[in-house]
Amino acid sequence: MTIADKFFQLIVEHSSKTAVIHDEKIYTYDELNEKVIFYREILLNKDISKGQIVFIISDYSFESIALFLALSINRNIVVPITTENLTEIEDRLSEAKPDWIFNLRDGDILNIKDNVSIERHNLITRIQNENASGLILFSSGSTGKPKAMVHNLDVLYNTFLQKKPRILNFLVFLMFDHIGGLNTLFNCLACGSTITIPENRRPDHICYLIDKYKINILPSSPTFLNLMLIGKSFEKYDLSSLKMITYGTETMPESLLLKLKEQLPNVKFIQTFGTSETGIAKTTSKSSESTLMKIEDPDQEYKIVEGELWLRSKTQILGYINHSNDSFTSDGWFKTGDLVEEFDGGYLRIIGRSKEVINVGGEKVLPTEIESIILELQEIEDCKAKGLTNAITGQMVVVDIVVKQGYDLQSIKSIVRNHCKLKLDPYKVPAKINIVDALAFSDRFKKIRL
Amino acid sequence: MNKINREKISELVFNCIKKYQEEYEQIIDIAEGEQTRLFGGNGQLDSLGLVSLVVSIEEEIETELGIAIVLADEKAMSRRTSPFSRIGNLIDYIDELVSS
Repeated sequence: MTIADKFFQLIVEHSSKTAVIHDEKIYTYDELNEKVIFYREILLNKDISKGQIVFIISDYSFESIALFLALSINRNIVVPITTENLTEIEDRLSEAKPDWIFNLRDGDILNIKDNVSIERHNLITRIQNENASGLILFSSGSTGKPKAMVHNLDVLYNTFLQKKPRILNFLVFLMFDHIGGLNTLFNCLACGSTITIPENRRPDHICYLIDKYKINILPSSPTFLNLMLIGKSFEKYDLSSLKMITYGTETMPESLLLKLKEQLPNVKFIQTFGTSETGIAKTTSKSSESTLMKIEDPDQEYKIVEGELWLRSKTQILGYINHSNDSFTSDGWFKTGDLVEEFDGGYLRIIGRSKEVINVGGEKVLPTEIESIILELQEIEDCKAKGLTNAITGQMVVVDIVVKQGYDLQSIKSIVRNHCKLKLDPYKVPAKINIVDALAFSDRFKKIRL
Repeated sequence: MNKINREKISELVFNCIKKYQEEYEQIIDIAEGEQTRLFGGNGQLDSLGLVSLVVSIEEEIETELGIAIVLADEKAMSRRTSPFSRIGNLIDYIDELVSS
């Protein structure tokens, strides 16, 4: 019996509990089990054998969860794809070269015969030889070509085998092709909790679902939470079922966290931390009002090297199939690129990404520090700080600000500048302030910074 | 197209200096007029102050004259006479940039 089998056995035991809510329909664990059996029969009929690479092109859905489970029991290497951008799909197909494609959007099952006989990357053969199931995730590719990361899926499942049953309703916010989204999914399935899948990720729709289905846990990102705050979505619905909001994927500005806590005083705010390369670490926040957190995970080690967080975990990727392993040291440490500060009692604060540091005449400035200060102003809806080259100081701080409706645009630059001068060292005060209509964010609700 | 004269640019630069003084609560003594030293030597601005002033002049030129220019680039820094040394040199340099 493989670990994927054991994981599935655990799921089946939740029988009549609610597994998935999607598109106003409610599915029990028994129904999920039946759907997995249905897909396993298809795999058998189509002669889809273990070790083959299979794409699932789909959004998060009851069907895609069942197919994902069926493929892992069948010891396939699963590649979940949620993008609707055809070029991105093509790119991913050419990098991971699947034997099969399940396109749940149009119901097609395709056998890519040209790929069946090709020689596989040694990371793929390693999984095949170990008789394990595999997972390929792609980095978001904000800089350059997306990296194809190979996980041993059995190793990921293994960390969920000892979970105790817990009936809670989770809203899955992160996507199916994201380590954070999969972590939430596996955790819910192992505990017998409910996964509610939103139709879209508009703040009002999310709040509607929280109200209607009495959601308890909302995993999210700071950018998304700010959108909810701006749209006053919190005030339109009854969110009393909400026990906890987790946030991750980007740095949380402290001023935003305080505003959120004020708006939702009974909700616990917990920071999550993880990378696609090392998996999600177990973390605890010092308090709901604090961005200080601790990594307390028996499967993860960390250390801080010149301000950068390094992680080494049991759940880390075997490697990349289209990229060098230079973000890993020879002894297996992953350089996260996240800058952290250390505090008493083992607490850490994530302060930004190393590549986003702005260098003003040799002084280092972190965009999120500036953003957190500017967000304190009631006139400001959102903002983003970045570096811009100049020949005098090397770089200077520039901020894009989105001003709330009803405030005077004439005086706003002076208000922002004066507030920054009061709160920040002179070299951190933005030299240039641009008023913009909106800030760009990715489909994972992360501010686009570069 | 109207030719942008040096006088207009001079007015604009002095206005930005005035605004800078208000914004940053720093007095720049402009008694020497265009001979006033800005940056380097006995200049009255430090590098951060110069960056702020330069950005505000760039923005003002764009709004008032509809011309986007970059003042603080390598070209400016590699000049034998720095455009940022005195107010007059800065006006000359801007005049040169907007005319070309």
